[in-house]
Formats: sequence, C-alpha cells, structure tokens
Amino acid sequence: MSANAHGPAEALKGLVRRQYFWGIVAIALLLLVNLVKDPGYLAVTIGSSGNLVGNVIDILRAAAPIVLIAVGMCLVVATGGIDLSVGSVMVVAGAVSMEFLSGAPDTLGSGLAAVGLVIAVSAALGAVNGVLVSVVGLQPFISTLVIMLAGRGLAKVITGGQNTAATNESFRWIANGHVLGLPVVFLLALLLAVAMGILVRRSALGLMLEAIGMDAKAARLAGVNRRALLLTVYVLAGVLAGLAGVFATASVMTVDVSRTGYQLELDAILAVVIGGTSLAGGKFNITGAVVGAILIATLDKTVVFLGVSSSATPAFKAVVIVVLCLLQSERVRRAFRQRRAAAARPAEREAVAA
Amino acid sequence: MSARQRIAKALGAATVGALALGLTACGGGDSGGDDGLTTVGFVAVGPEGAWREANETNIQDTFTEDAGYELKYAPATNLDQKSQIDAFTSFVDEGVDVILLSATEATGWEDSLKRAQEAEIPVILLDRGIEPDDTDLYVTRIAPDNIEVSTAVADWAVAAFPEGANYFVLEGPAGVSVVNERNEGFDAVAGAQASLVKVGAQTANWSTEEAKSVVETVLKSNDNDLQFIFAQNDEMGLGAVQAVQEAGLVPGTDVKIATIDGTRNALESLAAGELSFVAEYNPLFGETALEVVEKVLDGEDVESSIVVPSATFDSPEAAETALPDRKF
Repeated sequence: MSANAHGPAEALKGLVRRQYFWGIVAIALLLLVNLVKDPGYLAVTIGSSGNLVGNVIDILRAAAPIVLIAVGMCLVVATGGIDLSVGSVMVVAGAVSMEFLSGAPDTLGSGLAAVGLVIAVSAALGAVNGVLVSVVGLQPFISTLVIMLAGRGLAKVITGGQNTAATNESFRWIANGHVLGLPVVFLLALLLAVAMGILVRRSALGLMLEAIGMDAKAARLAGVNRRALLLTVYVLAGVLAGLAGVFATASVMTVDVSRTGYQLELDAILAVVIGGTSLAGGKFNITGAVVGAILIATLDKTVVFLGVSSSATPAFKAVVIVVLCLLQSERVRRAFRQRRAAAARPAEREAVAA
Repeated sequence: MSARQRIAKALGAATVGALALGLTACGGGDSGGDDGLTTVGFVAVGPEGAWREANETNIQDTFTEDAGYELKYAPATNLDQKSQIDAFTSFVDEGVDVILLSATEATGWEDSLKRAQEAEIPVILLDRGIEPDDTDLYVTRIAPDNIEVSTAVADWAVAAFPEGANYFVLEGPAGVSVVNERNEGFDAVAGAQASLVKVGAQTANWSTEEAKSVVETVLKSNDNDLQFIFAQNDEMGLGAVQAVQEAGLVPGTDVKIATIDGTRNALESLAAGELSFVAEYNPLFGETALEVVEKVLDGEDVESSIVVPSATFDSPEAAETALPDRKF
C-alpha cells in the first residue's frame, strides 16, 4: 500500500510509520515465540490431498471470519459509528443457512441458495441498523446493541432453540476446501477485503465516509449524501458479518445458537483499532484491519499451541494487547526515544529515529 | 381519591391479575386443591438448551393430572434469579403442597427457603444445588453426579488404553462448577494412572467450532501423537471428531474421543464409530422426583441427596440400541 516511486527504503519507512506496523511486529513476535517452543512451527508441508498443511495455514483459516467482520466494522467506524451487532448477525446467518440446508438436498444449488439467503437476511439486518442510525437518527451504539440482543434471540427462534447441524458438501467446501493448496475461506476473505479496499480508496467513497466521521454537518453542507452512505455502510457491514457467519458455521456444519459469533464484535473492534482506525471516526485503514484480524487469530492459536491454561488465557491475551497498544501510542514511543537518546548521545539518534 | 391514587390502584390490580393469569395458565386453569389433586409448584430454569428442555419436559410429563398432581410451571425469565424468587414466593403464599426448585444461581436462597419452611411447604431441589449447602432448608436434592459421570469416563479410558496414551482435555468455560466437578472426577482416576499422560487442557467454551480449532492446533503441536481426547460435553467432542478427520487421522481408531451428556447427536456419532465413549448426564429423573414427592407427603424420611443413575455407552451397538427412544 505504501509502496511508491521512492524506492524500497522509502517504502519501508512509510510502512514503519503506519500504525499497523506494530501489529505486524506483534504477529512476528508471536510466531517467534511459537518457533522457540517448536522449531518446526512455521513448516508448511503438502498434505495427502495435495493441499498445504501447517500452523500458518490454520491461522489464515481462523482469521478469515474476523477479517470480514473487521473490514465491515472498519467502514462503520470511519463514519464515527460502531456496529455491535456483527456477532449476532453471524449467528443469524448460521441459523438461517443450517435450518435451510438441513431440509434441502445435498447439491451445489442448495449450497448457493443458502449463501444467497444469508446475504439477503444479513443485508436486511444491516438495513435495520442503517435506518435506525441514518433515518431515525439513533446513536449507532444503541441501534446496533438492539440488533445484537435481538439477533441471538432471532437465531434461537429460527432453530427452535436447538443447535442445528446439516450436510452439504459445497457449503462445507467454503470453509474446509482448498484452491491452489490454500484454504478457500482465507482467499475469499482476502478477495472481499481487497475489493472493499479498491472500492473505497479508488473512488471518493472513502473520503466521503471519513468526512461524515469527522463532521457530519460539514459533510452534508459539502454535498455528501449522509443518509444513503450510512445506510450503505451498515448494509455492507451486515452482509460481511453474514458471510463471516457462513465461514464459521460451514467449518463444522453446525450452528451453536449460544456460541457462534459470541463476542466477536469485540474482536472486530480490536482488529480495527490495532489497524490504526480511530474509534472517534474520520480515519480508517482497511489493510490495518486485516492485519489486526490476522493478529487476533495468531494470538488465539498461540494460546493453544503454547498450552496456556484456560484460566490464564484471557490474562495472556490482555497482556499482549496492552503491550501492543502501548507500542502504538506516540507518547509512549516518544518517551522511549528520549530515554534512549539521552543514554546514547546524538550519534545514535539517526538510527533510532528510523 | 386523587387521579394518582386511582392509577396506582388500577396498576396494582392489573399486576395482580397478570400474575394470577401467569400462574394458572400453566396449571390448566384448575382452581387446585379442591378436586383432590396435589399441587406442585415448579420453579424452573426455562429455555437453556437441549438438556434443560428434556429435563423440564420430563418433569411436566410426570406430574400429570392422571397421576394426581397439578403442576404449576414457572420458568425464569432470561435465567434471572429475581423472577425465580418471585415465583417461589407466590407459590409459598398460595400454599402449594410441594415446591420443586431448579435454581439458576446457587446463592441467595436462604430467605425464600426459610419462608417455605415456616409455611411447612417441603422444597425439593432438582439438578442445581444451593450455596451455602444448608440441608436443613430443603428436603433433598435430586441430580446426576458430575464427579461420578466423569469418573466413568476415566475408568473407561484406563481400561481402553492398557498400554497408556497421551490425552488432551477440552473443558467448558473456566471456573464453572460443572467444569470443576468434571475435572475433579476425571483427574482422580486418570491422574493416578502413570501410563496416561495429560498433554494439556484448554477451554473450547462448550462450542463445536472452537473445539475444532483447538484440537487442530493441539494435534500439530504434538505431531499427531495423541491417542485420547476427553471432551466435557458432546458439542466439543463432535468438533474434535472433525479436527481429527481433517488432520488425516481416523477418529475412533487413531484418536479415541470420549464425551459427557449423551445427546442424540453424540449417540449418532458413536453409532458411526467416530466417538468412542459417551457418558450420559441423565436429565430424565421425573420418576425419581415423583417417588420422592410421594414419600415426603406421606411423612417418610428421604436422603438429603439423591443421585440420578446415568448410563454409559461404550460401543456403536450400545448407541444404536439407545437411539430409537432418545429424548434429547
């Protein structure tokens, strides 16, 4: 993203200045910790079925749903809003698809129909958020909280309160299949993220979203159609969350009404923040959100790989994230720089500043 | 009479009416007591999952009018303890003959139970216990025993792996009493067996999806050198099966998986040879409850804790036999 005509050194400098750079550093550190525990950690082999197999591939697969919801969240946050309903939209999507597939024949057609159904339902839920925020003018926090609470209830109604399982090979392939040896889910997630990135950054859309996030009134006076844009953004976030729900349920072909997507809105918000998007709105970075999502997946997998005990898991994650946020904070970095500069005299300053 | 007083009065009447409606609706509208039926107030948990549904339906199907009972079913709203205490208090005020209680939370029941005691209404705890466990406040607690059930899993594992095995435990959320008890029972037996080596334990939050993700990584971190997985509920066991399959191993042969609960899905998987052992946590104890209620009403003494026997299934054949009339 930051590559420009000034050569690799300039590009590297640009990358370091980005906030998500520290996310990449954190991913590298976590991988390093795993590598210390097991020197073969990063090894990627070709499995019996000709697909790539390895811990890194697992991380990419686990990151896919988080990438989708983080990208959606990123756009919503850019407008100064927040979408707390993504986890619930995921479970509704899972419930709709499993309930539909459990009564449908095991064909490609019904798999596609299930995905279509999910897109329709999640777009509808996103539209409810969008209308509440843009037309009614409710606080995004409250309107999406409503859908967050109602969504899980809706999923329970759809499945009759049961965890529903279904069989459909093509639907299952979405989460477990491979293309060119790589997991389909990750490729799909990446494709959608890149498409979103191109859509908002190669057009004025991104700027308009940021304008709304900075100052809604000024944006309107400048001729930005706030209402339509907000509605679009919430619908997009809804559809992306719905697809994330497909990824999550297709992986085991079961929807767990109380657990699927549970608290994933928090992961999405975290990914977005790690990626350098300000929760105050007016600034967003989709590449950063993708990096953040991969970091969260890496963290989850690391906890299991290292065998951190269940009771210590939340604390372990919290420590990693707090350290990361401290590293990202300009004030903390400056304090470090000053101390080192004071200790090591001007000769070293050049190197440290880079 | 001022307008405010009138409104307050009207609201009060409406509340009483709504309460009365709510209570009688479940009892089938009988006035109760006069027609020789024994009234039983059931302070229940309500919608929580397949296990709870099987449990409460079973209780309702047992205490029928044909059996001489009028059951008043009061499920909690959203697992809220306050709604349970309200229902409990109105059962006491109403003067039902017996109260059955499945508490959503273990603490905070002393005052309500004392009120029932003063009104000489016997209280029987179903499934969930109370804290502090003061046995003077209730007649008996009827429940399956988590420690006993998980011990059964460990006993099976010891017998199934005479040459020893590396095993991994998929736990529920950290700190929940069910998880602690299931660990306690399992570790007491499996931990004493030197040939069984625990390579780790991790929570998968009762979820199939998380269990699959955890097992996928655990298999890699142990180079597939894992022979046994103990999943503390069925859903996680089913996720483990999928992870094992995707690692190119055969569940049931390369890696044996044992689960607790005994839901229909798990038994189907056991019948297909994917799971190797399923220990039931039996929700169907309506009959036991009925016997206890009869004894109590006749003034007989009962034990302060009654353990519901739970079955275990250790072969596809056993699962196939049990499947046709599986209730949950």
